[in-house]
Amino acid sequence: MFLGGPPLTPVARGALLAGALALVLATAPGARAASLEDMQGRAVAVPDGPLRLVSLAPSLTEIVFALGRGDWLVGVSDYCDYPPAARALPRMGGILTPNLERILQARPGLVLVTAEGNSLDGVAPLARLGLPLFMVKPEGIAGVQASITALGQVLHAEAAAAALSGQIQGKLTRVRELVRGRGRPRVLFLLWSNPLITVAPGTYIHDLIETAGGVNVVRDRTAPYPRIGWEQVIAWAPDVIVLPEHRQGEPQALPERMLRAWRTVPAVRTGRVVSVPSDPLYRPGPRIVEGVGELARAVHPEVFPPAAPREAARTAPR
Amino acid sequence: MSLAAEAPLVVRSRPGVLALLAGVLLVGLTLSVMVGTVPVGPGQMLRALAGTGAAEDPAVAIVREIRLPRAVLAGLVGACLALAGLGFQAISRNPLADPSVLGVSSGASFGVVVAMLIGLAGSSGHPALVTLFAFGGAVLAAVVVYAVARLDGRLPVTTLLLSGVIIGLFFNSCVMLVTALLASNELQAVVFWLMGNLAPVGAGPLTILGLTLTAGALTLVRQAVRMNVLALGEEQALQLGVEAERVKRVVFVAASLLTGASVAAAGSIGFVGLIIPHAARLLLGPDNRTLVPATGLLGAAFLVLADLVARRVAAPMEIPVGVITAFCGAPLFVYLLRTRRGGEPL
Repeated sequence: MFLGGPPLTPVARGALLAGALALVLATAPGARAASLEDMQGRAVAVPDGPLRLVSLAPSLTEIVFALGRGDWLVGVSDYCDYPPAARALPRMGGILTPNLERILQARPGLVLVTAEGNSLDGVAPLARLGLPLFMVKPEGIAGVQASITALGQVLHAEAAAAALSGQIQGKLTRVRELVRGRGRPRVLFLLWSNPLITVAPGTYIHDLIETAGGVNVVRDRTAPYPRIGWEQVIAWAPDVIVLPEHRQGEPQALPERMLRAWRTVPAVRTGRVVSVPSDPLYRPGPRIVEGVGELARAVHPEVFPPAAPREAARTAPR
Repeated sequence: MSLAAEAPLVVRSRPGVLALLAGVLLVGLTLSVMVGTVPVGPGQMLRALAGTGAAEDPAVAIVREIRLPRAVLAGLVGACLALAGLGFQAISRNPLADPSVLGVSSGASFGVVVAMLIGLAGSSGHPALVTLFAFGGAVLAAVVVYAVARLDGRLPVTTLLLSGVIIGLFFNSCVMLVTALLASNELQAVVFWLMGNLAPVGAGPLTILGLTLTAGALTLVRQAVRMNVLALGEEQALQLGVEAERVKRVVFVAASLLTGASVAAAGSIGFVGLIIPHAARLLLGPDNRTLVPATGLLGAAFLVLADLVARRVAAPMEIPVGVITAFCGAPLFVYLLRTRRGGEPL
């Protein structure tokens, strides 16, 4: 699940990473370079013309492709599997453990990293090796659009970025309008089932649940991804239980014992335990619309019949 | 060595102390079934336990499907770990011995991650198979430790501890190797599992655990007198007609099986095997005939109560029970280390 998404990723990493980056970004090469600010507010020298790009997060790879710059990529992380063309690209190691030698060998003009996912320990050596890094920091849905805009500048694809951001905005607005004025079902989002791990307010997924017209049953902010007991679910009595897939195409199922224990919970009683694809939810990239769509379908099936959000997903910008 | 020399802190009638410990366990289980997020009154609780509650009453599901299975699991795991610790301490004649020091927990962990690697664990897998793998790992580690530690047909304490530490580290590396091969979602499963988890399991795993506990406890009871003699030293044991090597072998296997069963059911939960035998010795003195039942009862009560704290202390969040056992266990251990024998080396 280390997909550049929020689950279990210490948020503080971004801030630490920024400090490390500050030391090296000044030395980035490129004589004719324009200086751009990355999302940590650091100046990054970006050369004109096509760049040799390495992307170290699936969400960034998806954005690069969506901006029409997939052919600039000379390397991606081991987890970059979307769009299908990304699978053919040279692998540069894990998100937390990039392979420095392969990245150096790829001679990138710019390495794209994200504050949500890439680790300080993993990326700091790249900076020490003198590789120019551009850091994206997607915070909430607005952060996704900001990432797209920032990368649009870096990749000289401002128009595509504006169009993509606009499309995302349009679809999110449509979802919000469709759920407005309806009941707000109480949603339990289970990142993990053994032990039970859910999401608290302040996280990206919490925002997505509320955008999709649901109410997160978790109100406590003690931990972003709290571990809870079985009984707590009975106390919260969610109307819908959402289970993200742990692996693409493999719906998560709850054990029979658990469902028996929760037989009085409205979601279980009414059969509203829904498995959703997790990549669009966990990756703060262009498919965010698809992720919100799947959630909205789980939360408001009466508004979003099965085909509608899938259709929206298929026509999602690429 | 030192284990035999400890005088009981509280000299009372032994049946009395055992009854007291059984009472503590009963209170722990009752509290564990009564206390939780959703208020359940005593009447509701009794009706649920008696099976006369309405099926649509949430209290019935809470008591019967969540709290009771969890309390029973905690009790069984606590007893298994404590008894395993008692056995390992007796045969190594070392108060620091416990399933983790002797590498047996690491072996059991290795068995479980292998089960995960080949897809037997998780929602699609079968819990009994995971138990089997944990058993296998525990016994494998125990056999290797035993073989490595054996010198000229004997099992010297120093080589036993050393080989336990080394084999334990080796199996930890094997766990790391397997986790490196796992997909990231399974990796998380390993991480959570290594933290220890007392979420209710099915009747199958509980039965396996219960049977293992019974067999292990009976074995230790049968060996109790010989374990007492062993505590006097191996030469003395020989003079008294106790075949030290055989006792060690039998207890070693029993303690390994107890470890394997508890690791398979609840992951790795530390400190129970280390501190509970000491606490029991503090209460009752060094006689293993009473120590075996006392350790089992105390281990069960301790983990049941520790789990209750883990569930409630940060509600609605739960914290891993291993945190509670370590927070209680480490200070107690330091206290024992510093006060019991006035500087005599352990």
